[in-house]
Amino acid sequence: MPVEIKDLPIILLTIILAPLVGGFLFGVDRRITARMQGRMGPPIAQPFYDAIKLFSKGRMVSNQFQMVSVCVYLASIILSLVMLMTGQDLLVLLFTLALGHVLLILGAFSVKSPYSQIGAQREVLQLLAYEPLLVFMVVATYMKTDSFMTSSIFTLHSPLLLTMPVFFLTQIIVMAIKLHKSPFDISASHHAHQELVRGIYTEFSGPQLAVIEVAHWYELILLMGFVALLWQTNLVIGSMLALLALFLVIILDNISARLTWRWMLRFTWTVGIGLSVLNLAVLYILK
Amino acid sequence: MDLLNVVKNISPEPVVAALILVPMLAGVLAYLFRTRMARKTIVIGTAWILTVASLLLFVMGAMSQPHPGEDIFVPKYWNTIITVADFALMTAFLCIAVMRKNILIGILALAQLLPMAWLEFGASRPEEVTPSLYMDWLTIVMVLIVSIVGSIIAVYALPYMKEHENHLALKVSKRPRFFMILLLFLGAMNGLSLSNNLLWLCFFWEVTTMCSFLMIGHDGTEIARKNAERALWMNLLGGVGFVAGILLINQANIGLSVRGILQLAADKDPRVALLILPMACFCFAGFTKAAQMPFQTWLLGAMVAPTPVSALLHSSTMVKAGVYLVVRFAPVYQHTVLTHMVAMVGAFSFVTGAMLAIGQTDAKKLLAYSTISNLGLIIACAGINTPLALAGAVMLIIFHAISKGLLFMGVGVVDHSIHSRDIEDMQGLWSRMPLTTLLMIIGILSMLMPPFGVLIAKLAALEASAQEPLAMVLLVIGSTMTVVFWTKWMGRMLTVEPTAKRHHFEHLHSMYFGPLILLTTGAVIFSLFVGPILQFLVIPAVKEYYNVSAIAGVDGVLNAPWLLVCGVFALALVVPFIWYKTRASEVTGAYMCGEEVSGAPEVSFRTVGETSSELKLRSYYFEKVVGERMHVKWITTVATLLIVILFGAVCLWK
Repeated sequence: MPVEIKDLPIILLTIILAPLVGGFLFGVDRRITARMQGRMGPPIAQPFYDAIKLFSKGRMVSNQFQMVSVCVYLASIILSLVMLMTGQDLLVLLFTLALGHVLLILGAFSVKSPYSQIGAQREVLQLLAYEPLLVFMVVATYMKTDSFMTSSIFTLHSPLLLTMPVFFLTQIIVMAIKLHKSPFDISASHHAHQELVRGIYTEFSGPQLAVIEVAHWYELILLMGFVALLWQTNLVIGSMLALLALFLVIILDNISARLTWRWMLRFTWTVGIGLSVLNLAVLYILK
Repeated sequence: MDLLNVVKNISPEPVVAALILVPMLAGVLAYLFRTRMARKTIVIGTAWILTVASLLLFVMGAMSQPHPGEDIFVPKYWNTIITVADFALMTAFLCIAVMRKNILIGILALAQLLPMAWLEFGASRPEEVTPSLYMDWLTIVMVLIVSIVGSIIAVYALPYMKEHENHLALKVSKRPRFFMILLLFLGAMNGLSLSNNLLWLCFFWEVTTMCSFLMIGHDGTEIARKNAERALWMNLLGGVGFVAGILLINQANIGLSVRGILQLAADKDPRVALLILPMACFCFAGFTKAAQMPFQTWLLGAMVAPTPVSALLHSSTMVKAGVYLVVRFAPVYQHTVLTHMVAMVGAFSFVTGAMLAIGQTDAKKLLAYSTISNLGLIIACAGINTPLALAGAVMLIIFHAISKGLLFMGVGVVDHSIHSRDIEDMQGLWSRMPLTTLLMIIGILSMLMPPFGVLIAKLAALEASAQEPLAMVLLVIGSTMTVVFWTKWMGRMLTVEPTAKRHHFEHLHSMYFGPLILLTTGAVIFSLFVGPILQFLVIPAVKEYYNVSAIAGVDGVLNAPWLLVCGVFALALVVPFIWYKTRASEVTGAYMCGEEVSGAPEVSFRTVGETSSELKLRSYYFEKVVGERMHVKWITTVATLLIVILFGAVCLWK
């Protein structure tokens, strides 16, 4: 279904509100994490201060392509979020999201730099780890609704979570991988003192990095949106579910250490895909 | 309107003759007139004739909507000519077996020759099939691809083969022979697509086998000879399957007409049950030609041939003959056990091909695995066997031919410039050959990203695969793996030192640049207008096929907000150049923790011993995870088992 003019208010609302909420949640995340580690933590609005500072920094670039890559990255995430909010095809959404991610990886590849290159290589593996989990969830919704449209999920009368419990777990994994939280902070880590410097983000600086930060705010809302879909009958409960997922990811981040990509792939491709396929099989039999 | 009337009054016979006979005749001429100018004239002339003729055929089809289904009148004596040529061809295979002292090829050639002789001269001689040639939408799609993409590649081969031979320092040019086979092949492919008589189809099928054998062995090296023989016996094995299918159909007293068989399926005739085993034989033949696991080795070996051969025969057109056969008869085996097995064989090749591609450093081999993988997807679509799946298959046939042709030709240009096909050697190609790199990156993106056609086809395939859950799981996993190897390859080409000197677009030979830019434009334009392509080419083909008035689910694929996607990405590509145009003074070197050595010619860093060491980067290939050595054995075993199960299930199925 094409996007129509009547969708315009919701699109504008999404574009304006999502980064505010996303940035705020990242601020809360930093606060909670600090408290868990016995620190005070920065102000809640710190992510916004960071972004403003980055935007006003002078330019240090490696090539023109980097800026292209971050702009496409941001555009793809906003577009995906808009598709989710306007009830579009979920598969198209996932492919659009993947395009942005691939472009970000290419941006990191475009500089002959040891840190950003290894980060980019590992980011490809992160993509390989979470992408099937996302697609399998979408496929599971197809089993329930015979359609890939987000809007058709809302025609069901019982919450998806009741028959698709596994996907709450896999979405937590996806969220942890996409937000680079331990133990999945393989291509770039939020914590200092490790071998990759800033991994995939090493060669992005100033305004480029700011665009990436803003993209992350949108992305958080998108990921939480996927979780909220699991309780589509009442989106207040759905949002609570999404917040719960984020909280669990924060706890996971603080109680686990960074692991290797081999472990990550083994874990997501056996436990993650295994459970997803099991849930799919049950849905198929019940159908 | 006048022009349309003119076209309306053209009968299809001369057009079809131009499509099949002109390239064959031109091939002979290219062999006889050995000067460079003559060859150039002949090849470019043939390319124009083929392009115009195929477009004419398309217009004729479009004007007789909804069913082109036109009979093409062919004089009777052609039946005799084809029969004689067929026996001559099979005798030629026998001669090759004797000359190369290859028993396997001999046995397989005899296994075709004897049954064919029995069919032709034995008691149960088949009825004459009329018409021998006919066209429907699937035919038109195939003819368009063969004639246009094929011609573009043939033109590209002109400068390529010249450089190729300069490089080999040959005393006597083998180019006349090369272009003879290339043009002969184009005619054979058109013939194959237009055949209604199965015996004709079989003949053209064997001609493509022969062309492939001759082309792989073209350079005459030891490895080329060995790989050519392997390709020959594997394709002959498929040919035996083909002949067996024909015999079985004849045995069941069903005419050897493609249209007749499809009509039986459309009428839900009870005799269709007798056709399942022969269809399994045809699918088997299709698997060999489309290099599905376990027959992938011949296609990988075929990469020793000069690049235009790889582009033409082994990626964009000849391997499509294999999927064409499988797709052609899809409605006949719908709702049978065979269709599920076909879906599994295809899906298995899709996922394993993509996995093995991750471990490849040779660009041509990566492309070969990707081809196997994509053909697997097309076959899986045929196996899923719903109108939507078939629409996906037809779209993939079109878009894959364009994108893969482009990528192979790009690798060829790079190979002749840097004398390597290794992806590692392509590091930083962006600074050395920006134009070729740009075109290749568009080619790669068109293989895997929205809003390009291949992805839209994949979307249709995934939507349709909900009918076939096991295949769907494999499709999801395979799609993700596909992203990995393409991204890694693009990453290598784009890796540039920040301080490297900026190069301007390099100069390319006009017959390199023309074909490359044509296919790139094709990939982009066709993707932008995927709606009309679906409307005018794909949907009619599928509707006609399943006798349905609408295709369930296709609206979902078509009406996704593609325009919005295109618009937003176009904006995202433009904004950086306005907002953030890089100035030379802002460019800095890569961050290396302060250990970089300034003033060194290459990017270098200080080692522990205070010496300077050049920074060398390499991509991950995961040899210990996805290396060929670890996986080929089990993949071959599983794939062989799948085919055994396929035949077992078909024999037991009632």
